[in-house]
Amino acid sequence: MATASAYRSPGFDFSNEIRNNFLSERGVPLPKATSTGTTIVGCLFKDGIVLGADTRATEGPIVADKNCEKIHFITDSIRCCGAGTAADTEFTTAMISSNMELHALSTGRKPRVVTAMTMLKQYLFRHQGQVGAALVLGGVDATGPHLFTIHPHGSTDKLPYVTMGSGSLAAMAVFEAGWRPNMERAEALDLVTTAVSAGIFNDLGSGSNVDACVITASHTEMLRNYVKPNERVQKERSYGFRRGTTAWKSESIRQMVVEEDITFIAPEAMDTS
Amino acid sequence: MPDGSYERPQQRQFNPYSENGGTILAIAGADFSVIAGDTRQSEGYSIQTRYAPKVFRLTERAVLAVNGFAADGNMFVKKVKQRLEWYRHAHAKDMPLRAIARLIQTMLYAQRFFPYYVYNILGGIEEDGTGAVYSFDPVGSYEREACRAAGAAQSLVQPFLDNQIYFKNQTPAPGTNHPTHLPLPDVLSIVIDSFTSATERHIEVGDGLEIYVVLAKGRSTQELASIGGLQELSTRAEGDRMFVIRRDLKKD
Amino acid sequence: MNSFADRFSTTGTAVEQRRIKEYVADEEDVSDSMWGSEAGFGTIAHGTPNFMVPTVPDPSAFLRLHTDDHADPSCRIKIKHGTTTLAFRYQGGVIVAVDSRATAGSYVASGTVKKVIEINPYLLGTMAGGAADCQYWETYLGMQCRLHELRNRERISVAAASKYLSNLVYNYKGMGLSMGTMICGWDKTGPAIFYVDSDGTRLKGDLFSVGSGSTFAYGVLDQGYRWDLTDEEAQELGRRGIYAAGHRDAFSGNTINLYHVQQQGWKFIGNYDVSEMHYNGPTGTAGYGYGVRVEGRSSANPPA
Repeated sequence: MATASAYRSPGFDFSNEIRNNFLSERGVPLPKATSTGTTIVGCLFKDGIVLGADTRATEGPIVADKNCEKIHFITDSIRCCGAGTAADTEFTTAMISSNMELHALSTGRKPRVVTAMTMLKQYLFRHQGQVGAALVLGGVDATGPHLFTIHPHGSTDKLPYVTMGSGSLAAMAVFEAGWRPNMERAEALDLVTTAVSAGIFNDLGSGSNVDACVITASHTEMLRNYVKPNERVQKERSYGFRRGTTAWKSESIRQMVVEEDITFIAPEAMDTS
Repeated sequence: MPDGSYERPQQRQFNPYSENGGTILAIAGADFSVIAGDTRQSEGYSIQTRYAPKVFRLTERAVLAVNGFAADGNMFVKKVKQRLEWYRHAHAKDMPLRAIARLIQTMLYAQRFFPYYVYNILGGIEEDGTGAVYSFDPVGSYEREACRAAGAAQSLVQPFLDNQIYFKNQTPAPGTNHPTHLPLPDVLSIVIDSFTSATERHIEVGDGLEIYVVLAKGRSTQELASIGGLQELSTRAEGDRMFVIRRDLKKD
Repeated sequence: MNSFADRFSTTGTAVEQRRIKEYVADEEDVSDSMWGSEAGFGTIAHGTPNFMVPTVPDPSAFLRLHTDDHADPSCRIKIKHGTTTLAFRYQGGVIVAVDSRATAGSYVASGTVKKVIEINPYLLGTMAGGAADCQYWETYLGMQCRLHELRNRERISVAAASKYLSNLVYNYKGMGLSMGTMICGWDKTGPAIFYVDSDGTRLKGDLFSVGSGSTFAYGVLDQGYRWDLTDEEAQELGRRGIYAAGHRDAFSGNTINLYHVQQQGWKFIGNYDVSEMHYNGPTGTAGYGYGVRVEGRSSANPPA
């Protein structure tokens, strides 16, 4: 009796690695992963953190998604923006989000931002940059507001204002010019919007709309599509096709409805014996 | 090595080429020709400029669109214009379109071993008054066509044109035939929609759109009256007329 | 490695390049011939054309780096490749049939390419390999054939024309030209076909097929070819050959262009859509492929 082993080692499956290396040596490139050639930003203000992101996802020069979500949920008061390989950022943040919830349940406390940061950097360092996630992590916990960047190899920075992704230079220029300590919420939100917009308009990898997220000690507000500066324009023509546009070789029409005759039989008296 | 020399000989690659994105497109009608291009010039993820024309007026009835490596393209257009000017001095008339096409072939092929990295589309009016489009590869092979898209979003736009201009994969209604040439307003709509769509899905296309319209001698300009952003380029009202339409495209 | 020997040799590509460089330095690209007349062929009407070559140690390696899409699919300049062309000689002349697809990598760059080059009313050349190489040199050959006529008061033979082309491309051997062509015509000796390619090969023969789909075309040709074919049969064979290649080879297809060379010169027979041939055939009554594959095999079309 053949019994396939039910055991599979946890984590990544490397069984195709040798084959894929061989193929790439022979000139067959690996399929391109969707990347979020992105602008993601975050900044500190008086009461907490504002995170921002554009909403364009690309596959090479092609726009794969015009309105994707790059601000990922970690806990109620911690969020994480992802740049790099779309699948890696998505799964990494989702996994850390789960682990944070488990951590919260086992300790009975609201978890801290540094906890998420440490989990992320240890995970990314373990995979030596093979997990292509570049992250901006921000949130508010018992120790106050915190903002980090985490690079794909596992290094981290803790700064009052941060940017990442292909539009990071454009966005950072805005922060360097406009950020001040202890800004009001509205000012900070405005600055983040301007920074992300700089990425959207000046970096080809970023585009479409601005997502923002304001996190304070008491409340987290996700502002999905906070600004939409690139609405789709009306097309000049409508492109409907006449019925019968597709060519056909032969035609036969068959009756698919089953005809059913219902014959009523004289009712029988109920057996009451 | 301590003395600063290298142990092994170093080899460097000579790479004079770069790719500057953008898309061009031309459609020929029965007695007109439309040649269009976006105005974004980019390298990698950066925009070099939001307004760098890719479509150029050559004569009263010929327009050349150039896409690929901008430095090669600008140089090539300059040289074509120079040759056309010499022709004018020698013959006291403009070079006919089919001759310009052959000239471009020989000029491109002269660089067969050091090619211009450019895709050219030539549009205009032939001597017989018909609209024409010629498309070229970087080393000069060319053919006359009814429509052609080239550049970054070529693979997005050309299938759309095949379907809308050549009616590929469309069966005509019983008892009717597809028209061989579309009217000017339809062509303009298709050109504009091609570029707005390419802008949405291709990161290197956007910012601005320039559409050149060449009308054969004696043709009515009525259909252009309602078009916004129109500017006439022809100097004389008799003879072939040339117009340019400028539109905005999304800038993200 | 051979640079020392090359520097002082009087033959070969090194000399050619030296001469070209001298020419370029000498005249820039402004010469009297560019002032207008001479039909845009200003530079070449005075003898062999001259080409600008990059000033690098190995110009053909430079060209290969930037244009050869087999070695590097991501190279910038994509030169069109992929083709099926065929020609055969029979009792009634020469049949020339070609497809019309041009591919750049996996992209169908054009479906309307004219791969038969009308050199003059008696000579046809086919196009396989680099489209520009074939177009340009066969146009140039047309000019030389006309000069031959004017000098010798008679038409050039197919053998001479093909040898002219063969010698010409042999001068550029190793520089990166890519062409596989059949020079077809009718001269004093009757119908003739010569295969000429950029390696310098030149072959006389009755039946050739060139290009990525040539194996499929040969399959059809070899089973249907006879010397005493009628004109109709011969044209049908040519059409079927290209159809088979268009059907099975991804780099060939779209439409078929069919030519017939007879004593009075060549005649264009027609343009046929490959998919139309598959479903309906040239007369619109019997398709080459669809009917025989599906008849009686689908539930909508049950066996009688």
